[in-house]
Amino acid sequence: MAHFDTEYQRLEASYSDSPPGEENLLMHVAEGSKSQWHHIENLDLFFQRVYNLHQKNGFTCMLLGEIFELVQLLFVVGFTVFLANCVDYDILFANKFVNHTNSFKVTLPDAFLPVDVCSAHIRDNTFVIFVLIISGVFWLHRFVKFIYNVCCYWEIRSFYIHALKMSMSELPYATWQEVQARIIEIQKEHQICIHKKELTELDIYHRILRFKNYMVAMVNKSLLPVRFRLPVLGECVFYTRGLKYNFELIFFWGPGSLFENEWSLKPEYKRGGNRLELADRLASRILWIGIANLLLCPVILVWQILYAFFSYTEVSAPHPRIRALKFYFCSSSLCLCTQVIKREPGSLGARCWSLYGRCYLRHFNELDHELMSRLSKGYKAASKYMNCFLSPLLMVVAKNVAFFAGSLLAVLIALTIYDEDVLAVEHVLSSITLLGVCITVCRSFIPDKLMVFCPEQLLRVILAHIHYMPDHWQGNAHRYETRDQFSQLFQYKAVFILEELLSPVVTPIILIFCLRRKSLEIIDFFRNFTVEVVGVGDTCSFAQMDIRQHGHPAWMSAGETEASIYQQAEDGKTELSLMHFAITNPQWQPPQETTHFIHQLKERVHREATAGPDARPLSLSESEPRSLVADMLAGPSTLAPVHFGCNSSLMNNAAAGINSAATGLRSLSPICSSLYLRGSLSAAHRAGGCSGRTMAGSGTDARTVSSGSSAWEGQLTSLVLSEYASTEMSIHALYMHELHKQQSRGEPSRHTWHRQESDESSDSIPDEVRSEPSARSLSFPRSHTFPTATSSPSAASASASATRGATVGQEWARSQSSSQRRHSGPAADQFGAGGRVARTSRMPMGGWAEDGTAASRHHEPLPEETSEDEAPPHIHKMT
Amino acid sequence: MNCRSEVLEVTVEARQVEEAMLALLHTVLLHRSTGKFHYKKEGTYSIGTVGTRDIDCDFIDFTFVRVSSEELDRVIRKAVSEFKEALSNSGSDGMGQISLEFYQKKKSRWPFSDECIPWEVWSIKVNVVNLANEQERQICREKVGEKLGEKVINVVEVINRHEYLPKMPTQSEVDNVFDTSLKDVQPYLYKITYQITDTLGTSVGTTMRRLIKDTLAL
Repeated sequence: MAHFDTEYQRLEASYSDSPPGEENLLMHVAEGSKSQWHHIENLDLFFQRVYNLHQKNGFTCMLLGEIFELVQLLFVVGFTVFLANCVDYDILFANKFVNHTNSFKVTLPDAFLPVDVCSAHIRDNTFVIFVLIISGVFWLHRFVKFIYNVCCYWEIRSFYIHALKMSMSELPYATWQEVQARIIEIQKEHQICIHKKELTELDIYHRILRFKNYMVAMVNKSLLPVRFRLPVLGECVFYTRGLKYNFELIFFWGPGSLFENEWSLKPEYKRGGNRLELADRLASRILWIGIANLLLCPVILVWQILYAFFSYTEVSAPHPRIRALKFYFCSSSLCLCTQVIKREPGSLGARCWSLYGRCYLRHFNELDHELMSRLSKGYKAASKYMNCFLSPLLMVVAKNVAFFAGSLLAVLIALTIYDEDVLAVEHVLSSITLLGVCITVCRSFIPDKLMVFCPEQLLRVILAHIHYMPDHWQGNAHRYETRDQFSQLFQYKAVFILEELLSPVVTPIILIFCLRRKSLEIIDFFRNFTVEVVGVGDTCSFAQMDIRQHGHPAWMSAGETEASIYQQAEDGKTELSLMHFAITNPQWQPPQETTHFIHQLKERVHREATAGPDARPLSLSESEPRSLVADMLAGPSTLAPVHFGCNSSLMNNAAAGINSAATGLRSLSPICSSLYLRGSLSAAHRAGGCSGRTMAGSGTDARTVSSGSSAWEGQLTSLVLSEYASTEMSIHALYMHELHKQQSRGEPSRHTWHRQESDESSDSIPDEVRSEPSARSLSFPRSHTFPTATSSPSAASASASATRGATVGQEWARSQSSSQRRHSGPAADQFGAGGRVARTSRMPMGGWAEDGTAASRHHEPLPEETSEDEAPPHIHKMT
Repeated sequence: MNCRSEVLEVTVEARQVEEAMLALLHTVLLHRSTGKFHYKKEGTYSIGTVGTRDIDCDFIDFTFVRVSSEELDRVIRKAVSEFKEALSNSGSDGMGQISLEFYQKKKSRWPFSDECIPWEVWSIKVNVVNLANEQERQICREKVGEKLGEKVINVVEVINRHEYLPKMPTQSEVDNVFDTSLKDVQPYLYKITYQITDTLGTSVGTTMRRLIKDTLAL
């Protein structure tokens, strides 16, 4: 009985504790929002900011940089106004005497005008007030933007730290690919994007580059009015930042633009029904924007000059343009001017990749830093190429001017050395300076005596880096037309600045008279080439890099492409972009047919890289692209004797042409190793999926990694292979161009450079044929030396001792043989094992270290040029 | 952008507008509501019950299920009758769109106000037709009933997919995810907006806001 009692009481007790039935309820555990990073509203902006912060090397760097920019602007405006209004130059020039009682010394403060006079000066001068007001507004704009940015980027900073687990201090040393891999990783747990469980690399690129892809496609399809045929100047390209800004304003984000918001095109533009009406509307908008541009012209001019201070990132060049601009600004003070010229003798003749060039050369889905590093690598070769074409007339004049100026200068200097009182004579110092400047300028027009004219090779090296080139340049590199067209991509900085200054006037004219006529085409373009991708929104369909839809039959996608002429991307852009993207993002898993295409192409390049030197190159038939890669790889050893000869004459610069061709090609030679590595690696990735990718730091030595841990996979890809990626891409680009050339030879090619006038292409064919024999004869010595080099490295080193080019050949041969060993050995051993194991273990565990050392050994003896060429990508980050 | 959007289109007679809209909105809300949360100790909670109720339409051959919460019904009814009013005042063509947007709030730091970030938007496009005689009306009555049935199945299919939903919040954050103002039921935070005819373009206000934002983000 007692037993029953107790049980009854217990029930009673629990019943009184809580409301009826409560203990039977299902209890849930709240997950809470552990992170604040799930479901981000504007992913486009978010990814852009993540990218920007990475490019600017972290929050502190960005913050400091922006603060200094603000201060700099204040200083420049203030100092210029001060110089113009508050200095009594009469006192400085001693035209007027200061009545000091006790000394004759003039001090600097004597030359300053008193404050009230000074402010009166400024108040009277309406122009100065105008400039001051605009720069005030500009400064405020920058300031507000700065505050806004700080708030936004603070959030991104905490995203890096808390979600991506990367501290700001390690950010400058992480590649974008690593950051991206982590973003993809955290999507699985945080769901940044709610449409998909997993993000792909392409999604992220699409979001960051949505509008840039459109611009690239529009330039590629010659839709934007940027080329003009002017009466006196002839063919020219005008594409400035002002114009670009206006295009973007009209298409993408301005009031009434085609886009509803960052990620979707307005629905009415997707329907074909009322295209005429929409085109009318667009035309009238362009007209209004053009008129507004015209009215605001003076304001824009001043604004642009101020803006130029801030956006020198736009210009890719080893020497930042800001110096040139500052030189332009402070040209009043001669001393600064001479300093600039003395420090960089060629700064007046320096060039940069033009804005148009950067649009023309950009791949679809290529981030800024990738483009910049590629173009910077091509810079040296490009400027050498341009320097091949010095005008003989100018040269004669320059030589004589330099002679006269030089003799005057010599006399003046000699006199000064004899007695320095000469300097006190009026204008002697300034004329010495001016003569010096004059000589420097003249010298830049006089070519080196030992310069060798080899444009074809240079152009090939350039092509290896810039990846795009119109068909008719090949074989025509020595022609002035080619040079002129190339200069549209690679212009003088002075021209760049001049164009920027002209831009406020020219832009409205282009908008009103040229762009307006194209409004219907533009509407059609956006309708036809916009696809909606789930989880990304509306993107340019070219950026999908789908060979089937946009491939060009003359660029290896024959048979696979179903595109009409209108849909084909020009210059093989789809194919090259696809290769570039696949190479830079090895983890990316493309759709089925695309994988097939990439695979096929890699296979071919592979095969030829291995088979080339062994298969007797002498028996090459012209129709077969058998050993193109061998040709390219063999370049250095061909050039070695020439190179050596030049070197022995102790004139480094003299060998300019050959030198760069050799180094350029030599920089390609580690490719064979990288090809093997990457080939096998990507197989491993396919097999192993994304598992085993570690997020460990980036500082581990490749050799320790290769010693057998399973974590090496991801690290190798990010560490070493990203450096090889650009080389591999170069070789693919060269290969594809070569193949394209052979395919299109004989058949009337479609002219892609100027589609308006296709008559120029007609004369390009005989030239190609004419130049062919010389190229063949050039390759003869290579074909003798190369097989021996492959068969026995020692023989090669004996035959071509001490020449740098041959060392390279030898290294190449060594890595070649080692890779062959690798390729055959383990693969055969592991044959019986399970497919997955076999494929992973085919990886060169031992061979890698050897290869790494081979590569590093190869880098050491090269001049600084090459080390620049081979610099890892994250150094090329442009800020 | 980071939000799913579903579009439903219906063609109805003027007097059916209200019931059709109510049917669709209530169907969606039925699946996007939970019982009230009762938080216990650290991070656990139990969920109250949700009653349902069948509603028969007067002008359509259709019965739908809704949450039996009078408060919720009142709110929806108010929005729908406003929409209907606006639609009938708009003039002849009678096209409109009502959208039900689910969002969550995110706390922001001081200079910015709280963000409301939508995660799912249901847009119902309405096309109002005028019918000549009783015969047609009778046919329409049945037709619209069938159509609505299809739409309801559509809605359920979409909701059955395993897709993103905001995570279940802790007690302090419950207001950021759920609408806790109602006594008997707790739907996800939602917002009902409507547009009439071709004013589908962005309004001046949003354009201005974007313009300013874009200039800043230059």
